[in-house]
Amino acid sequence: MDSRSEVRPLAVLWKGVLLFLLVNLLVAAFPPESGTSVSLYNRLFAGRERLPFGETPAQSYNLSLFDLEAMFASHLIAGGPKPAQEYRVILIGDSSVWGTLLRPEETLAGRLNALNLTLCGREARFYNLGYPSLSLTKDLLLLDAAMRYDPDRIIWLTTLESFPLEVQLTSPLVAHNASRLDALMARYDLPFDPADPALERPSLWERTLIGRRRAIADRFRLQAYGVLWSATGVDQAYPLDYPRAQTELEADLSFHGFRPGELQEADLAFEVLEAGFVAAGDTPVLLVNEPMLISRGENSDLRYNFFYPRWAYDDYRQWLAQRAERLGWDYLDLWDLLPDPVHYTNSAIHLTPQAEAVLAETLVPAISQMPCP
Amino acid sequence: MTLTSILILIGLAACLGLLGRSRWRLLLLLAVSALAVYALQPALPVRFLDFWLPTATLALTVLGWALTAPPEQRLWRTNGPAAAVLAGVVLLLGLTRLFGLDLPAVGRPPRFLPILLAVTAVAVVTFLLVRLGRARRLWLALGIVFLLVLFLLLKSSPLTALVSAWLRTLNGQSAGLASPLDIRWLGFSYLAFRLLHTFRDRQSGRLPPVSLAEYAVYAIFFPALTAGPIDRIERFVADLRHPRPLDSQGWLEAGRRLTLGLFKKFVLADALGLIALSPANALQVHSAGWAWVLLYAYSFQLYFDFAGYTDMAIGLGRLMGIQLPENFNAPYLKPNLTQFWNNWHMTLTQWMRAYVFNPLTRALRSAGRPLPTAVIILAGQVSTMVLIGLWHGVTWNFAFWGLWHAFGLFVHNRWSEWARPRLTAVSVPWRMALQAGGVLLTFHYVTLGWLLFVLPDPATSWRVLSILIGGA
Amino acid sequence: MSDEVITQLTEYIAAEILKQPGRGIGPDESLLTSGLIDSFHLVDLALFVEDHFGVHLDDAELNASVFDSLNQLAALIRSRQ
Repeated sequence: MDSRSEVRPLAVLWKGVLLFLLVNLLVAAFPPESGTSVSLYNRLFAGRERLPFGETPAQSYNLSLFDLEAMFASHLIAGGPKPAQEYRVILIGDSSVWGTLLRPEETLAGRLNALNLTLCGREARFYNLGYPSLSLTKDLLLLDAAMRYDPDRIIWLTTLESFPLEVQLTSPLVAHNASRLDALMARYDLPFDPADPALERPSLWERTLIGRRRAIADRFRLQAYGVLWSATGVDQAYPLDYPRAQTELEADLSFHGFRPGELQEADLAFEVLEAGFVAAGDTPVLLVNEPMLISRGENSDLRYNFFYPRWAYDDYRQWLAQRAERLGWDYLDLWDLLPDPVHYTNSAIHLTPQAEAVLAETLVPAISQMPCP
Repeated sequence: MTLTSILILIGLAACLGLLGRSRWRLLLLLAVSALAVYALQPALPVRFLDFWLPTATLALTVLGWALTAPPEQRLWRTNGPAAAVLAGVVLLLGLTRLFGLDLPAVGRPPRFLPILLAVTAVAVVTFLLVRLGRARRLWLALGIVFLLVLFLLLKSSPLTALVSAWLRTLNGQSAGLASPLDIRWLGFSYLAFRLLHTFRDRQSGRLPPVSLAEYAVYAIFFPALTAGPIDRIERFVADLRHPRPLDSQGWLEAGRRLTLGLFKKFVLADALGLIALSPANALQVHSAGWAWVLLYAYSFQLYFDFAGYTDMAIGLGRLMGIQLPENFNAPYLKPNLTQFWNNWHMTLTQWMRAYVFNPLTRALRSAGRPLPTAVIILAGQVSTMVLIGLWHGVTWNFAFWGLWHAFGLFVHNRWSEWARPRLTAVSVPWRMALQAGGVLLTFHYVTLGWLLFVLPDPATSWRVLSILIGGA
Repeated sequence: MSDEVITQLTEYIAAEILKQPGRGIGPDESLLTSGLIDSFHLVDLALFVEDHFGVHLDDAELNASVFDSLNQLAALIRSRQ
């Protein structure tokens, strides 16, 4: 045989390695356009009823990833243009909106949909866009991204724990979406430092295919779990037992390092909240201070619950009410709607399925009273 | 096995392959294989068990050789170095504790004295076994019974839990926490079947004379340790003595098999694994269509996982000049169940045929008052397939799985007996249609069988079956 | 001699196993991997070989890696006669 026609393994090897390196460098130098997320959800698979989040994918058929495009593309809301008879309401907030320990139909959005409301002559359809981490900036990120789905109304539920400046950028979803945050900072003049170490800025190496293998695998896994989501309707692991929300509290008066009287309005991210209202544009926003557990156990004279010393929370409520008044926001303070611990699961803000139904009923008048376009 | 451990094994195999026919090659291969037995053993909650089980693997191997070696192979001069390598590996790993070394991937060894005592005990028993005279036949039979009992203890969950409770008590650990998962003995199923094969062949006088090093490398050859294939010793040792050179052809063949295996296992099987039917998701499924998707995914995951490991084993073997036997040959594309079993986990079915089906059929066929053919066929198939089922674990579901396939094989056998003389003249299009229909039917028969294989009990399998056919 | 062995084997297989007396089988045609002879009839074939040619085929030898065609089987028989 002609020796030149023989396959030489070493040549195959080094050419393969060279091509691989070349492709990696090209991808790093010219990152592919994000925003062109191919998704099987809403086509082959049912759209998800809440944004993907999950720490135990093998049990929850769901996973946490940071690619907002892929996350939204997997959501029911991306299922197609808004039907003419639909009145679209999006719910923004933390894990209590997303629905930790709740099945999709037991969440606030699920409970509201079950009421079959008619708003402004159209069928109201509520979309759960909550996401489990406490940060107004994370809420703003999602609200801003959700505007393209043409909501008719926004309900934004929040709590003091989302306000401290120090928690704003540590939400993983914010930290891994630094370039999106840059755009938001530029648009709304937010008080953050673009060089904040909490923000993940990928190096050249991290932009190669190898460096991004985790993100690529996550996007693939999100698609794969669409099968199990469609087959089972499960998108969260439901443990049979879990530690209940604390009612016996530590005698601790501090809040994020602030001692009584030290917390100033400027230490809280009200600007981010205001930016959210700007981002909503003409779409009316209903701001809700969400219900929380009010303990009557040990040290409940000092603290309301695991999260809040009484003094800090009282200050916060006052500031929020004043600002809402001043800026003319639709604001509903439901902090003590459901004080009893029986209404909560594993945290002072995670409601039981029954309590979510009560909250939904309570919101109806405020939702119905908002102006129609 | 993780990707990293496989890449390390590929590196080691390539180095051993490059040694060519050096006289150190066999002993190095033995040392690497012995170390791999420890390195690949998963960590276990029972204290030091992840050291003792690999040690037991080596001990069983040495004792197996001592029982089967013919007189001319028992010389110390031939086998001393291999014995020294095996004892050396155990003792050196034991010494790491004295020197405070914590080896990655290897279970923490117990104190040195028990290890030394164990090695001495194995050496003494080996010495005695080698000197066995006429009692050898009895000891071989006892060895077979011993392996089968051990197999039963490890494969039957209630018994394994009892053994675990006993071991925990010995260790002063809480017996209440005992679980069958405590005793995951890496590679034991394959080791036991290799040893049984040598014992039976020694009984029938077919076993070729092999040295301790050759016997041990056959039994614990690291590419085939975790997932087979189960080679035959005469074939394996022939390759071991005359390895194929690692030339460019060798690199290409090995590279192709390894790439294919890595792709099947880590891309296809692991991706399908995300959505495959499992005991956890089986009863959460709420529609027939999706249940089929999950079941198909399991069917292909199982195949790609197992076939991928086999490809990797064959590729690793090729690097070292050893051609391991094929274990899968497009089994899902076969037109009937008989063909499927000729091409699925072939080395296990060949083993079962050689040591269960053929002897049983021969005995029944040659009996004084021969039984009807159909009865003999059914008896042979039921016993073989149920044993193949129980090899995976002693549970009702594995037994039923074996019966499912025995029944399928029997029906196919009766059908082909009936159809063979009648279907000779069918036209080509009809034949192709029959062939395609056969492939589909066989695949679905096998895939429905996996319901018994993957799920823990008959009730769950039955409920998933009812979901599949549209009941809720 | 080997032709004689092959003829006898062919007649036996065609009549007793395939139930198609008179059918021809190529000397290199695959018997086992093609599924022409199943595992049960393979044992029968071994018994036939034992009776007719006085050659013992071990249970472990009844597989395609030892013989898969008439030529290979005939060669095996010859080597043991």
